[in-house]
Amino acid sequence: MGTIDYLLNGLATAMQWHNVLFVFFGVLIGTVVGVLPGIGPMSGVALLIPITASLTAGLGPEEAATSSIILLAGVYYGAMYGGSTTSILLNTPGESSSVVTTLDGYQMAKQGRAGAALSIAAIGSFAAGLVALIGLIFLANPLSAIAIKFGPAEYFSLMVLGLLAISGLAGKSMTKALMMTALGLLLATIGIDNVSGVARFTFDLPELYQGLEFLTVAVGLFAVGEVFKTILHREGNEGEIARINGILPTKQDLKDSAAPIARGSLLGFAVGLLPGAGAILASFFSYIMEKKLSRNPSKFGKGAIEGVAAPESANNAAAGSAMIPLLTLGIPSSGTTAIMMGAFIMYNVQPGPLLFQDHPQLAWGVIASMFVGNLMLIILNMPMVKIFAKVIETPTKYLIPLIIVFSVFGVYAVQYSIFDLLLVMACGLIGYYLSRNDFPLAPLVLGLILGPMMENNMRRALTISNGDFMIFLQKPISLAFLIVGALWILVPLVLKLRGKNVLVNEEG
Amino acid sequence: MNKTFDRYAGIVFLAVGAAFAVGSGTISTSAYGSNVGANIFPMVLGIFLALMSIRLIYETFRYQQRQKRKENLDYKRFGIIFTAAVLYAFFLEDIGFVLGTFLFLMLGFQTMERGRIWVSLLISAAFSFGVYYLYVHVLEGSLPGFPAWLGLT
Repeated sequence: MGTIDYLLNGLATAMQWHNVLFVFFGVLIGTVVGVLPGIGPMSGVALLIPITASLTAGLGPEEAATSSIILLAGVYYGAMYGGSTTSILLNTPGESSSVVTTLDGYQMAKQGRAGAALSIAAIGSFAAGLVALIGLIFLANPLSAIAIKFGPAEYFSLMVLGLLAISGLAGKSMTKALMMTALGLLLATIGIDNVSGVARFTFDLPELYQGLEFLTVAVGLFAVGEVFKTILHREGNEGEIARINGILPTKQDLKDSAAPIARGSLLGFAVGLLPGAGAILASFFSYIMEKKLSRNPSKFGKGAIEGVAAPESANNAAAGSAMIPLLTLGIPSSGTTAIMMGAFIMYNVQPGPLLFQDHPQLAWGVIASMFVGNLMLIILNMPMVKIFAKVIETPTKYLIPLIIVFSVFGVYAVQYSIFDLLLVMACGLIGYYLSRNDFPLAPLVLGLILGPMMENNMRRALTISNGDFMIFLQKPISLAFLIVGALWILVPLVLKLRGKNVLVNEEG
Repeated sequence: MNKTFDRYAGIVFLAVGAAFAVGSGTISTSAYGSNVGANIFPMVLGIFLALMSIRLIYETFRYQQRQKRKENLDYKRFGIIFTAAVLYAFFLEDIGFVLGTFLFLMLGFQTMERGRIWVSLLISAAFSFGVYYLYVHVLEGSLPGFPAWLGLT
């Protein structure tokens, strides 16, 4: 079967009535998650994993995995879209990749053009989603065909590259990012070693034999940690919400935004492919590019529609293209895709080159659902933007305790363990203090998820080489990955030493 | 950056890294059919974490303490909600989901903002019972039910 046949089969899967419902709820919840300040895509996806597990309980294992991933992917790109609503109406980004949108989006809203800004954000997001989808369709097969030839040494080095890349760009201090990566990998070693069967760092506690569950750690660090921050810092949504008059953009608006949307989508797609460089860098770069290309750069920051169209397209394209390394190589390139990878593993599905061979229904079903989801986003958001704007007004006093309850419910529904619930609270506390002091959390979760696979590949490679570590340098592809990984760390370091400003990525 | 926090965090992570490195010494060094044991990965990473922690501690002596705005954190409200959340998690199986969630939500809502007690009561009751009913009776999931002493089960 060719790519088109697979895609049509995927579309048939995505159009099954229950999957249409999953896409719908995914993008709807995602938009709400993006709109609500305090819950980002990472915590949104983490919180919904247990709920999808119970929603799909009646389906077969493959169908359950397909439907769950469809819903979670919907939450991911829905949140990317929803983040723009608060940026434009409240001058407060719902999630970090919409920071740049505040610059011109809020100015447009103040000039009474909130509707135009919101609809251009929706149109840009839709176009970007399509670009990412087309890229995914064409890159999926060739990339998995290459990756399938990788041996354990190449895989290990590829994971090292992924981790170094995300550490190189995450947070303000590379030392801290590398520490968090190492800590995540170390935490992954807790439990019974699945090769030798020996217990490692379990202190004879039965709760630790299975290791630390990624879901528990992720919900604790991201959702509960964020809640603790909101309480301690008395964060709320007190700003004044701009009024929305008409929601349709004018012909001139469409004309002005067409090229920025196209450029933003392509740039975002390329940036999203790179590990570590997530949606925030994509939106930032595209904003700078538009400003440089503009004949009248002075209008930026004063309500230029290009300043909304380009970054909003770029962050959605990046979110879509971040799925490519996850699906084809099994390497998540951001915090959110790391959490999604955890969900795959929970359903006994290993993302990576064999995914398209072993689970074509799942892989292509998810890809096709992204098209359906993007279509739903634009249909939903254009007329319902006023309703989503109301969501912003949800009082924090109700939201905060409810998120804690959802975290407890979600983790208990999957783990059935009080130990895990207490671990959620501890992780929340640790997550708050670490993130407040610029210790990035995404590398920790990424390390926790990639740890077991990385160790298995390392040990398999070393078994082949009789314990000789040179195997990682002797295989050319492996060596290339390690060199690129080293450069990813060293180049920003050298630039910093020379006194240059290095852009960092603070989102997942 | 907070120099004091970084320094203490560096010390804690140094201890964690060292503990993993030392602890991996007690793990068997080889596995059946392989001369590579379960100890190498944690040992290398433990040493790496310890080295990075030393670097962080060293860095704290080099950079200037950023002038921080004195932030007035709401420790009282946080303390109440955190303690309530830990107790809620700890006693979930003993008192059941509906009762535990209802009590936690009531306390949470009232701690966040006093007043409008009827609204809090209504939301807490509807949410705790609604989620329980939906999850246990409609989706056939499993959650701790009502405690035996209530005589409802």
